[in-house]
Amino acid sequence: MSAVLEKAPPAERADEQRRSWAAVLALALFEARKLLLRLPVLLMFVLYAAWIGWTMRDAWSSYPALQDVDRATQTGPLLPALAVLLCANQAVLRSQRQDTDRHFDVLALEPWRRTVGFALSVVPAAVLTALLVAAQFTWAVLAPGSVGHGSVGELLVGPLTVLLAGTAGVLLARVVKSPFAAPMLMVLAFFSILFLGAVPGDSNGSATRWLVPVIGDASSKTLPSDLLGRPAVWHALYLFGLALTLALAAVLVNGGRTKTVAAALVVAVGLGTWGAVGQAAKVSKATTDARVLATLNPAKVQSCARHGNSTYCAFPEWVPRTGTWAEVTDHVQSLAGGTAAQEKLLVRQRVEARYGMDADGAIEPSTVPYQVTVGTRWGGPRVPEFAAAVSSVLVMGSEKATGSLCDGRMVTIMWLALGWQSDPLTQMRAVRLDDSVSGSAIVLSPTNPMSMTTQQTDVVRELLTAGPNKVAPAVKAHWAELTAPKVTTAKVAQLLGVKAPAGADKCE
Amino acid sequence: MTTTVSAAGLSLRYGSTHALDDVSLRLGEGVTGLLGPNGAGKTTLLRVLATALPADSGTFTVLDHDPGTTGGRQEVRRVLGYLPQTPGFHPDFTAFEFVDYVAILKELTDREARHREVRRVLAEVDLSDVRGKRIKKLSGGMRQRVALAAALVGDPGFLVLDEPTVGLDPEQRMRFRELIARAGEGRTVLLSTHQTEDVAMLCNRVVVMAGGTVRFDGTPAELTARAAGRVWSGTERDPAAMAGWRTGLGAFRNVGDPPPGAELVEPTLEDGYLIALDGMAAEVAA
Repeated sequence: MSAVLEKAPPAERADEQRRSWAAVLALALFEARKLLLRLPVLLMFVLYAAWIGWTMRDAWSSYPALQDVDRATQTGPLLPALAVLLCANQAVLRSQRQDTDRHFDVLALEPWRRTVGFALSVVPAAVLTALLVAAQFTWAVLAPGSVGHGSVGELLVGPLTVLLAGTAGVLLARVVKSPFAAPMLMVLAFFSILFLGAVPGDSNGSATRWLVPVIGDASSKTLPSDLLGRPAVWHALYLFGLALTLALAAVLVNGGRTKTVAAALVVAVGLGTWGAVGQAAKVSKATTDARVLATLNPAKVQSCARHGNSTYCAFPEWVPRTGTWAEVTDHVQSLAGGTAAQEKLLVRQRVEARYGMDADGAIEPSTVPYQVTVGTRWGGPRVPEFAAAVSSVLVMGSEKATGSLCDGRMVTIMWLALGWQSDPLTQMRAVRLDDSVSGSAIVLSPTNPMSMTTQQTDVVRELLTAGPNKVAPAVKAHWAELTAPKVTTAKVAQLLGVKAPAGADKCE
Repeated sequence: MTTTVSAAGLSLRYGSTHALDDVSLRLGEGVTGLLGPNGAGKTTLLRVLATALPADSGTFTVLDHDPGTTGGRQEVRRVLGYLPQTPGFHPDFTAFEFVDYVAILKELTDREARHREVRRVLAEVDLSDVRGKRIKKLSGGMRQRVALAAALVGDPGFLVLDEPTVGLDPEQRMRFRELIARAGEGRTVLLSTHQTEDVAMLCNRVVVMAGGTVRFDGTPAELTARAAGRVWSGTERDPAAMAGWRTGLGAFRNVGDPPPGAELVEPTLEDGYLIALDGMAAEVAA
């Protein structure tokens, strides 16, 4: 062919460049529309949206902590991510599979620019995921009693996972021209995730576990957001860098060997590496110290609010919830007799934060008289658990003393905790470990659990069935006897006017 | 004739086979027919001119653009409409989507203008009514017209059509001829075909290829004239004839060097084609 070099004038060249990039954008929009309308993608987005709807329903009654909600948005997007990986891969292979290559190869838009278009076509799927994540999170923010702070880094993981999957699908199609490669990649990714998660690490968890897109926690507890120590922003940067690297590698493989692409690839690899190194760092000393302080000396970092006779001290993010705790305390105290009805309690929020989210740790019962522990979670069984903690302190004087409880006072404690509730038997079921209302059981509380014997359970159930109007006057009238050490369950039943169980108290 | 496409000395080998051997030609506006038997090098020539395949040697220009450079090749592709032999389709695309997709790859970027253009070419090939139908639901003839619409979108100055009427029934072929004739108005069309009727009815110019070389380049009338005095009628097939066959009227039509006293008949384009192929005629006639 002729070696004559035709060079268009700069203005013309710039115009051609603009035209080519506009075509890339048009291709990206076309492919994005096709991708979002593919059955697997549609189906997975519908499933994902349904899952969000399900979690939204719960969020309205579960007093969400936003630093947990943000992480909870990360697993759902794996559904559309898998579909996007498969379908983006198939879209790139479409021309080869359906034999339009011979025709399309001579069309003006260069192959590497088409790859840019394919890579960009997965962005709307990521944006849609981001919208769904935002909806899920916003719903939790608007839920009554929500507390805490979400992290943008955590919220970005879902959309970035979809972006990463899409670009992986594009790169794979450019490297391996087989439709079976994407399913194989998914199987490989699954086992890689298992392997990476299994590689032993230090006390902060596996050394490599942050290399996979979505990282779960060993613990389900809720911590103040500043104590989490999750490298969320680093991880988001890592995912973004990785997605960009895959996309640019696909462009490079497909002939886009321009200086701009090469430079962008270097930047992308740099971003990914920067994120990977950042996320692999150990939890900072400041966070570790803050965790120790929050666990052992929470008063130093808490704010206190007074409601009625009692004081409520909480980590800053939970201060708005102290009023809700006070309502429970007031209800319990309103059923108590003697000085307990007016007792000035100190309700203190406590956490075991020393292990971060890597492990659970029980909170030791407080030895301080009339101090009640409240946890970081609320709603559902946490309400009767807290009520049981309040009533136990009113009856026993301290949480520590409750640990040795093995007599009829357990009946009074449980009645105070549950007697004011609108559906006390349901709450009784909720606060017992075995979800039953008969037989012996462990009763949950924010610190050490208590135990109920079968006889105590029977008496409590009868008292709850009788209703507060009938029982409350008797409790107030016999308060001193009901709370006397070693009072038997039979005696308590007799004082409160229900059938006394046979046999002596026998703790298990 | 104003030359719009010119090629000089194009050669291409597949191993020891000369697919193209020093091919030179000049094309102008209108439809040029490219005739030749299987393996003549027609598709190879079209693929080279469509920039799908680089030639080993030789040069060509399309509307003053030289594909020898990256920029030049892009320019050629911007003015090119290409309908490959047995074109592929995306069966799940609608006719509109498929042509729109091709339009995007042709860098027609303004969405509104592009869609207007897609509607125009679909109307031109008489597919407006089915533009929303998926391609897998269209008949073979309709699909072929979708492919032609895809080649026509963007109003290319040079249209390369590789055996577009293969597999079409006579009615579809007639309709296609109409479309190609219209497409040839104001642009250069290179039409590869086995059908001499296509050439006779459509082309103002014809190139005959065989064995990778150009055997004839001229007007259809000139090709027909080549057979003047070399076609005769007889009661039996003349063994000395290049080709001979029984006609519908029962007489034998012989092409070649007539024996003395033979009853000469009026030649057709097909006769001229056979003469142009010369030694390959028997194979073609078989």
